[in-house]
Amino acid sequence: MFGIPPIALWIAAIIAMGLAFIPPMLLLLEKTGRVDDKLRVELWKRYKSWLVLAPLMVLPLLAGRLWAILGVGILSLLCYREFARATGLFRHRTISAIVALGIILLTFAVADNWYDFFVALTSLGVSALVIAALLADEPKGYIQRVGLGVFAFLLFGVCLGHFGYFANDKRGQAFLLAIIFSVELNDIFAYCSGKLFGRRKLAPQTSPNKTIAGAVGALILTTALFATLMHFITAGTVIDRPIHLITLGVLVSFTGQCGDLVMSSIKRDLGLKDLGTLLPGHGGLLDRFDSLIFVGPAVFHYLNYFAGFGFDTPTRIFTGP
Amino acid sequence: MDAWKYKPAAGQNLPPGDSMRSVQREAGLVSTITQACWRTIVRLYLGGYHRLRVEGRENLPLKPPFVMIANHSSHLDALTLASALPWRLRRYAFPIAAGDIFFQTPVSTWFSAMMLNALPMWRKRCGSHAMQELRDRLIGEPTIYILFPEGTRTRDGKMGPFKPGLGMIVSGSNAPVIPCYLDGAFSALPPGKKWPRPATLRLRIGPPLTFADVENRREGWQKIGDQLTSAVEVLRPETPS
Repeated sequence: MFGIPPIALWIAAIIAMGLAFIPPMLLLLEKTGRVDDKLRVELWKRYKSWLVLAPLMVLPLLAGRLWAILGVGILSLLCYREFARATGLFRHRTISAIVALGIILLTFAVADNWYDFFVALTSLGVSALVIAALLADEPKGYIQRVGLGVFAFLLFGVCLGHFGYFANDKRGQAFLLAIIFSVELNDIFAYCSGKLFGRRKLAPQTSPNKTIAGAVGALILTTALFATLMHFITAGTVIDRPIHLITLGVLVSFTGQCGDLVMSSIKRDLGLKDLGTLLPGHGGLLDRFDSLIFVGPAVFHYLNYFAGFGFDTPTRIFTGP
Repeated sequence: MDAWKYKPAAGQNLPPGDSMRSVQREAGLVSTITQACWRTIVRLYLGGYHRLRVEGRENLPLKPPFVMIANHSSHLDALTLASALPWRLRRYAFPIAAGDIFFQTPVSTWFSAMMLNALPMWRKRCGSHAMQELRDRLIGEPTIYILFPEGTRTRDGKMGPFKPGLGMIVSGSNAPVIPCYLDGAFSALPPGKKWPRPATLRLRIGPPLTFADVENRREGWQKIGDQLTSAVEVLRPETPS
């Protein structure tokens, strides 16, 4: 339908159904007295944020290639903004301007399906940041300014930018929905298995609520989920073999949980509870999208290595001869 | 090796609307760009439509912090004072604007924060706490305030008495106060009028005054108010345009 792979529509439908089923579940929990007042308010806040966020994430993906790429570009810019304001990097306007320009160019490279430019932007962007920081002629704090700028550009520009690249494949929408769905459930799986079996802490200094059982439970469940989804998406291709499907599932769960821990480390180092306030109940955008950052590159390069990527979209759409 | 020092944006933990209304608000990349566009438009408008003339630019300090004050007769006043600043100083300039007019609705709040770079002053509750916040910012960071000590626009064209709030901000500090007199704004856009008439605007900037040795008390505020009233009065042209 509308050129959207049926499996993508299925996943979107499952997400919509999930959102529809949450209110009765919450009401049931309230009726049976399983949740106290504080948790109840918190859960409803989160749910309302999801009601806005889920369509904002899913609809651009279903709307088509350019919309998905644009959506990823905007997400990258907003994530950078949040990081820059949390660290104080935003006061260095030259660096901020270059990171923002870098993200815009990366988005263009993806929209153009010009992989060479996308790759070139990594080294060129880093060089531009290191060189432009000289302009202030202020060696004090130079390494910190440049370090934060490069870190942000690589994480929110280059790593997150890989998500846009998925849209250049004819199965891209399905890949993206499967990844987002699995990564978000990865968090929930970890939470539930942690609550049920968790005893030993995973990294008490970084994130005191995470347990080893939670991490293992999420690894098993997410792997099963993602492998199943990918089996339907890639049916009949080289990827559709147990070894690839399971490896991909493990990659998604592992890198997803790593992203979460990375953002926890950043928050602890900064001494902040949340990185922003955009999403009531969640915190900032980065508090929600932290787990996605490393999943994109991992899955993208795995698929690209074993199956090749984006061959069905013409390359250099805007800049080509 | 020294530890890195991070200083999150002031109001980083406030919800989006509240952070725009915070007097500690710090401009980012987007608001820097929107404000620069707005200043360019305003400059062209004031120069073209109102044939703005500025005298006494040499009295402006070379760098922040300082406070610009003037008589208040229209919504053009803050725009005019801000556009008299040289380009490199303008991003430090914060007009202090009435919260009940400029920060009431989400749209006006967005406009005041993203275009005017205004900070809100809530006239119903501008107690010592609100003044202390403004004072801290003036001392702590490179900041230029543009404010109108009368507290409201004149309704008859005559300058009213200065409120003590300004004294609470500058007494005992080294930040100079620059008295200005803006002539012509009352005939251009008096309170109650919707669209400006093409009246000529003339801005005179006087020499700076500092109040480092004035005590931060009621008597001190009164003294500052009196001194600045006459400093602004002196700048009033003899033949109003």
